[in-house]
Amino acid sequence: MEQSPRRAGQPAFDRRALLRNAALLGISVPALSALLQACADSPTGSGKGPGGGTPTEGLKIASPDNPVTWDIADDNQPIADGLQPEKGPLRVYNYADYLGPGVIKAFEEKYGVDVKVSTFNDTDEAITKIRTGAVPFDIYFPSYDQIGRLVTAKLIRPLNHSYIPNLTNVWESFQSPWYDGEARYSVPYSVYTTGVGWRTDKVSEDVAALDNPYDALWNSDYKGMVGIIDDWHTAMAMVALRSGVTDVNSENPADLEVIQTALTELSAATKPKVTVSMYNDLPAGQLGISQMWSGDIVNAQYYLPKGQSADILRYWFPEDGKGLVDNDLMLVLKGGNNPVLAHLFLNHLLDEKTSLKNFGYIGYQPPQNSIDTDSLVADGYLPENLATAAVRKEWFDVAYRLLELTVDNDAAWHQVWQQFKAGA
Amino acid sequence: MTAALLPDAPESPESPAAPSRRTREPRGGRVLGPLLALPGVAWLLLFFVAPLYVVLAVVFGGVDPVFRTVIPVWNPVLWSSDQPIYVLTHIVGSDGIFGPALLRTAVYVFTASCLCLLIAFPIAYYVARLSGRWKGLLLTMLIAPFWISYMMRMLAWVNLLANDGIVNKVISLGGIFPGDTEWLSGKSIVVILGLVYGYVPYMIIPLFAGLDRLPTNLIEGARDLGANRFSAFWRVTWPMSRPVVIASILLTCLPMLGDYFTSDLLSGAPSTSMVGNLINNTVLTPGQTGQAGAFVLLVLLVSLLPMVYYVRSVSRSDGAIG
Repeated sequence: MEQSPRRAGQPAFDRRALLRNAALLGISVPALSALLQACADSPTGSGKGPGGGTPTEGLKIASPDNPVTWDIADDNQPIADGLQPEKGPLRVYNYADYLGPGVIKAFEEKYGVDVKVSTFNDTDEAITKIRTGAVPFDIYFPSYDQIGRLVTAKLIRPLNHSYIPNLTNVWESFQSPWYDGEARYSVPYSVYTTGVGWRTDKVSEDVAALDNPYDALWNSDYKGMVGIIDDWHTAMAMVALRSGVTDVNSENPADLEVIQTALTELSAATKPKVTVSMYNDLPAGQLGISQMWSGDIVNAQYYLPKGQSADILRYWFPEDGKGLVDNDLMLVLKGGNNPVLAHLFLNHLLDEKTSLKNFGYIGYQPPQNSIDTDSLVADGYLPENLATAAVRKEWFDVAYRLLELTVDNDAAWHQVWQQFKAGA
Repeated sequence: MTAALLPDAPESPESPAAPSRRTREPRGGRVLGPLLALPGVAWLLLFFVAPLYVVLAVVFGGVDPVFRTVIPVWNPVLWSSDQPIYVLTHIVGSDGIFGPALLRTAVYVFTASCLCLLIAFPIAYYVARLSGRWKGLLLTMLIAPFWISYMMRMLAWVNLLANDGIVNKVISLGGIFPGDTEWLSGKSIVVILGLVYGYVPYMIIPLFAGLDRLPTNLIEGARDLGANRFSAFWRVTWPMSRPVVIASILLTCLPMLGDYFTSDLLSGAPSTSMVGNLINNTVLTPGQTGQAGAFVLLVLLVSLLPMVYYVRSVSRSDGAIG
């Protein structure tokens, strides 16, 4: 975003800008002259870079090639060892249907507290509400691509691992992940892939057998029954991969142009529905084929109309793992009133049995060592036709990851998405 | 007004040549008037002027450098017009990313309003003037849709229009016809009909109220003077009902302009995005909240024009009667 001259240390306003604002507002001439007089008399304001915002020098961007271990600030220390849990209620802030009720109940009974779950639609909304501090949420479930901003703004609390011994149950790569070295601030919650889900009764071709299976989403034969995930980065990264752009966090304007063109073509070819409710819309028949998270296709089988067999559902993710893989986290928010209880809740969800029980409800796989990916079908967690929805540990070494973007690049990506969503 | 009518009148209210209104006011009017206006003024200040100022502070405000969430700037001296200018320069031309949605909104709202009027006027006319003793019952039935929230009614349509929903089943007539129309797959016509369905009650009620109060003696006079039914309607009833028609179109147009969930629920495709969707999409997007505010101002300005026209036409017709 273009910088206005004022940010180079000049006064925070000038008369021309003020006149322009006033013209936009339709302020009458007498009022304006009074205002200008007032400006001339007043000292320069300490305006905080309005409009585009000032780029942050200090925001570190973690990536697999550039692992980050976040500092622990003096005024944001972990809680002490051996504290008694608070009396609650524990406030959990999460996506809807992303936490098993039985798992919550077990925790409530174990510690004699209430757990109150509030839900958000997307993490942009969640961050906005967390920052207002209106509700003292204790635990938050974002993706890893927000952790830098959350640590920088001191919105999350560093963890005291003495309360979370179950962290050793998760894949080793998550015990000190690249986005949060030493797991200082986060523990993993779920792992998932982003691929393509479809119904064999609506889509006759074998999508997985296509040269480029993403192309099926651009196939005008499926006009009106295509779905795209309503998340700018997830959707645009898929568009990038389909077009051969493997840097799904690219800062290259040419790559963004490729994505923009492909999105325009997508709009024209299939009029996709942009939503996050494909786990319901696909089984309900409103969608025939959709970009999907692996957990959502697993869930979709429970939303099929009565009498409809789950055999019609299919899911594709590149067999070599060169697609999008993600993981969600559990974080303890600094604004919460129950930090000890929050640590215990994290530990509860990392417990082997509890996390499997939770998997059965939410459809999203936890990165537990005890889960044998090859036996998920045999163990009844996945139907045979959705065996491709299992998430393999080794994929996390080769797959593409959505990273936190720099402020300017983030704005550029959002702008392309905005254009797509405006139906231009 | 008094001064304008009597330009040479002395200013003193005591002057016998210029009996001001004040002398005609009942005792206590000086206190009672402002007192009665106070709740209204307080309401306007609290729920219109103050929120509007918040919108301005957001539109012309700043962005948090880390989260890129909005930082309202309260001091107008420090306002930046980057965001509204961004919106205004991206409506037409090669960068015109918002133009199609704005044009689409105008077409949808115009079409839906015309359809609403076509449906609502005959209904309101019938209930107000021809329904006789059924008037009370019909009026109750007209108010009934208000008992159910707009969103609930739209959600009901989502089920009705689903691929295996009742609409397709009825159309297929038990399998004789295909009946496989995918209504909810980004069709403009479905969004427009959704708007019509959702807002038509808001047009019928004010139309009924206006038509019900039309002086019947003028229409009877027209008939007595030889006009047939159509001629009496066209030359007497229609001109007299014009202000109420404008008012009811306004009452439906304004909420339609800001509507986003009709398109969200009945389509979900960007190809049917309206200005309400632009606002909804940008308001919580990092760095774009100011643009949402700019769209709000744009809708406000656009809706002010017909409002001014309405106020002028009403005050003119009041003057004519007076």
